[in-house]
Amino acid sequence: MPSQQPLASKEAALFRNVLKFYETKQYKKGLKAAEQILKKNAKHGETLAMKGLLINCQGKTEEAFQIAKEALKQDMKSHVCWHVYGLLYRSQKNFDEAIKAYKMALRFEPDSQQILRDLALLQIQMRDYNGYIESRRLMVVSKPHIRQNWTGLAIAHHLAGNLSEAENVLTKYEETLKQPPPRTDLENSEAILYKNYIIAETGDYKKALEHLEGIARTAVDKVAVLEARAEYNLKLGEKEAAEKAYRVLLERNPEKRLYYTGLEKSLGAEGEEKLKVYEELAEQYPRADAPKRIPLDFQEGDAFKSVAQKYLDWRLKRAAPSTFTSLKALYGDVAKRECLESLVEEFLAKTREEKPVENGEKLTNGSATPNNSVLIYTLYYLSQHHDHWRIRNTEKALSYINEALELAPDNADQGELRLGLARILKHAGDVRKAMEEMDNARQKDKSDRYYNTKCSKYMLRNDCNEEAIKTMGLFTRVSRDNEVNGPLGDLLEMQCVWYITEDGESYVRQGKLGLALKRFHAVYKIFEDWTDDQFDFHSFSLRKGMIRAYIEMVRWEDSLWSHPFFRRAAVNAIKLYLLLNDKPHLAHGSLANGTGEDAVDFESLSTADRKKAMKKAKREAQKQEKAAAEAAAKAKDERKGGEEKKQDDDPLGAKLAQTTEPLEKAMAWLKPLLEFSPTFLEGQTAGFDVYMKRRKYLLALKCLLAAHSIAPEDPIVHEQIVRFQIFLNSKPELSPTVQSIIDETFTLTPKESTLAQFNEAYLQSHADSARASFSVVKARQALAAAEGSKSDSEGTDSETLIFETLKKEGSTLKDAVDGLALLKEMKGDVGRYSEEARQRWPVANVFEVKA
Amino acid sequence: MDIVMLHPSHIPHVQTCNITNLPENYFAKYYLYHALTWPQLSYVAIDLSKPPKSPHDPPKIVGYVLAKMEEEPVDGIPHGHITSLSVMRTHRRLGLAEKLMRQSQKAMVETFGAKYVSLHVRVSNKAALRLYKDTLQFEVEKVESKYYADGEDAYSMKQDLGFIWDAVKKEDDLLKKDEKADAEGEGNEDEGDPVGDEGQEDKKPKEVMRKVKIGRALGVSDLVEKVEQPKAAS
Repeated sequence: MPSQQPLASKEAALFRNVLKFYETKQYKKGLKAAEQILKKNAKHGETLAMKGLLINCQGKTEEAFQIAKEALKQDMKSHVCWHVYGLLYRSQKNFDEAIKAYKMALRFEPDSQQILRDLALLQIQMRDYNGYIESRRLMVVSKPHIRQNWTGLAIAHHLAGNLSEAENVLTKYEETLKQPPPRTDLENSEAILYKNYIIAETGDYKKALEHLEGIARTAVDKVAVLEARAEYNLKLGEKEAAEKAYRVLLERNPEKRLYYTGLEKSLGAEGEEKLKVYEELAEQYPRADAPKRIPLDFQEGDAFKSVAQKYLDWRLKRAAPSTFTSLKALYGDVAKRECLESLVEEFLAKTREEKPVENGEKLTNGSATPNNSVLIYTLYYLSQHHDHWRIRNTEKALSYINEALELAPDNADQGELRLGLARILKHAGDVRKAMEEMDNARQKDKSDRYYNTKCSKYMLRNDCNEEAIKTMGLFTRVSRDNEVNGPLGDLLEMQCVWYITEDGESYVRQGKLGLALKRFHAVYKIFEDWTDDQFDFHSFSLRKGMIRAYIEMVRWEDSLWSHPFFRRAAVNAIKLYLLLNDKPHLAHGSLANGTGEDAVDFESLSTADRKKAMKKAKREAQKQEKAAAEAAAKAKDERKGGEEKKQDDDPLGAKLAQTTEPLEKAMAWLKPLLEFSPTFLEGQTAGFDVYMKRRKYLLALKCLLAAHSIAPEDPIVHEQIVRFQIFLNSKPELSPTVQSIIDETFTLTPKESTLAQFNEAYLQSHADSARASFSVVKARQALAAAEGSKSDSEGTDSETLIFETLKKEGSTLKDAVDGLALLKEMKGDVGRYSEEARQRWPVANVFEVKA
Repeated sequence: MDIVMLHPSHIPHVQTCNITNLPENYFAKYYLYHALTWPQLSYVAIDLSKPPKSPHDPPKIVGYVLAKMEEEPVDGIPHGHITSLSVMRTHRRLGLAEKLMRQSQKAMVETFGAKYVSLHVRVSNKAALRLYKDTLQFEVEKVESKYYADGEDAYSMKQDLGFIWDAVKKEDDLLKKDEKADAEGEGNEDEGDPVGDEGQEDKKPKEVMRKVKIGRALGVSDLVEKVEQPKAAS
């Protein structure tokens, strides 16, 4: 439909220029031309629209929307105005509104391929499959000779779950071909494999196999053909063919476990026979690890001993530092790990006897003698063995690693071993010395980023954030975009999630909640970016033709937010927001009950003192912010010219922490957590806490029930059950519907005993668990608070219970630290607790007496 | 250790592995670009020491090779390029780098008809240089001055993939023999010139098969050879 406001020929030419300037990103020139038109036709809608678009490209979004709205007012029926309106929304990532605008644009210009394409991209990004199918269908109708259009329609049907329609579309296109495309046509090769992939998804493997045989010679992705054939053969019970296919695959890649399981299944071999298969393969592929290692998984007893011995001999003789890592997975099995220990001990004794060379003697190239190397890495294995969390004999671990260190003359080995030493110390809780040793390892080879990375990590574990970022900075890149933020800028840009998360967790430990939130939000932002990253591939992949990879990408993106990187940051952030909801004063730096020297016990202060302390904290915070802002400004001044970079107006995260609606903020984390990780226990328990605080009792109950079905005996779940029952006992005013749903679904507390008895019974049945004791203590506190008394006379008193956890066999260092925190909260005898804890964890820094 | 093709879901951990080990880092989209343009060329090594808690948990990546085809080769010869390769220090001396590289190289030949593979390495990186030179048999082609952002020079290295072409041809011939045995009288899908060779080679003992530089190419390389030598299509 032509514009409602035709321009004179001179202006029409100018308008075409505006479009051209926009497309070539010459925004200033474009704006100038637009202004020229507007001088004569101030109310020309489409020119106004273009002006808005150009202004948006210069970052003035608000103004751009105003102009675009004005444009629409002038020319409601112009597809240009609507298209621009959609583009503005798209640039703001408001895809729903953008889709609406594009649809309006299409109403006035149904034949515009450009608008249709833009619409389609948004639809698939938003997973509006039906909309996408329709858009893609229109594209096929308008340009049926282009294969991409057909493939695009097939993708739309496929993703929508309509497999047969997807297959039909691909077939229809194939039928239009007069002669088969040459083998050199990569797009064709991928398209036929894509069709095969769809057929396989229908579960009709017979048809898939037939189809595969028809295309096997044409498809250039050989691995895909071979893997598909093997899989189909197996699924169809064609065992001989499957065996053959898997053997071909193993020939290509004898380190892929899937091929071994495939081969096992096609042979149906068990026991001796199965072992023989692996022995033959091990001979066939002498350099491969898998055929030697896999039998250790299925052999037991003496049979295990014999395969384990062979494997250990082979690995230990090669003096690789990773032998233990390769076997760690077996450590859940007591018999196997004990067997491995005695085998390595035997190997060690033998190696010591054979040792013909003096300790520490060097070969000409400066590295350890071969025999020494073997000895060193055998000792290394044993140190790792004793450091394993199921064994955790720090003393033994240290003695082995120290012996190894004495034997290692070479820097490379020294680095490796120091790394091992540092790890043992970290596990034992001596984070300070661990950091020092890791720094020693780093010094051995400063050009190795791995050492550098681990050193920074250990610095963070020791809450030395400044040193950590400085160390990271030895390898980060300085670019214009991150100049202001230094090394951290590069780490953010390069999406270095591990560092950002560890940094945040360190700030949590230090009570610097603003900075902690700042880091976790940076992780959130990375996940948003990863979500946006797929956008360009919706069109790119059609051009490149790698459709199977594209489908895999789309499916991965669909579950992206279930990634453990996100879960970890989310659980942290939610806990912080809950804390800030209960104790908003923690948002003010020095009031945090952190480990800082000037930490104040805010809650024990009088109202007047609280106000005073709050004021002081605010002043300090302002000072810090000012300093940070000045530092940023200085960095900016030091830059030579260049365009304005966006300044961070909240470098310390103070604004984040001082939010007035912490629970709403927590929801932004909780929603994706519950939606994408419904079986993640910590997500459900966090959900219970948030919803209780928000008084959304049914939602809280839903989380509690979900948590209970994931881990019915979990201590946190127990504590939450008690808390929920306490809440119900308080006779809250609930609507009859809510009440009846709760009555029907919440049956986790016994009718015949009191809540206190229920709590003590839980303690009895989980006597060996420290975490259970803590939860019982917390539940008691909640009960006491509800009953307005402090009586916890039933059973052992709470403080004693916490002390007893130090003696429980299964208690970990982390449990002991949690116990310390709980005791602190209860104002118990922290000094005596630390002293007793020190006896069991003698080097752990957390139990040190502060001078 | 498990060696498998790079899947999009591996990318966050590949990225972690990269930034842990190397100074040249990329955002996730660049990995996606590789995985979605040449999905056959990139491989990862997965640590199996901790079984995943749930089937959706992404595996731990301890090594990777990120590879591509040169999109517009200056010399007009299709070839692969190693964008990045690294193995965690804790998993060295297992031959992982070589195993990863072999998978990638084979696919470069089979799927994209690469004639050689190139890469850059810091002149100071002795360990990597040893790996490429001694273990993987790359050769230094030239020094590229100030190749890296920090001003360091790079060795530009390459390796001829002729040895893989030979192997691929061998496998292919074996396969065809099989197919012929299975079903007589097929093979009319072939496009001309290899048929003659094939017939001859069937009679030769295996050891004699050799040199395929111009012989029967696979995949895209057909096209490239026609471009290079217009007469070859005869």
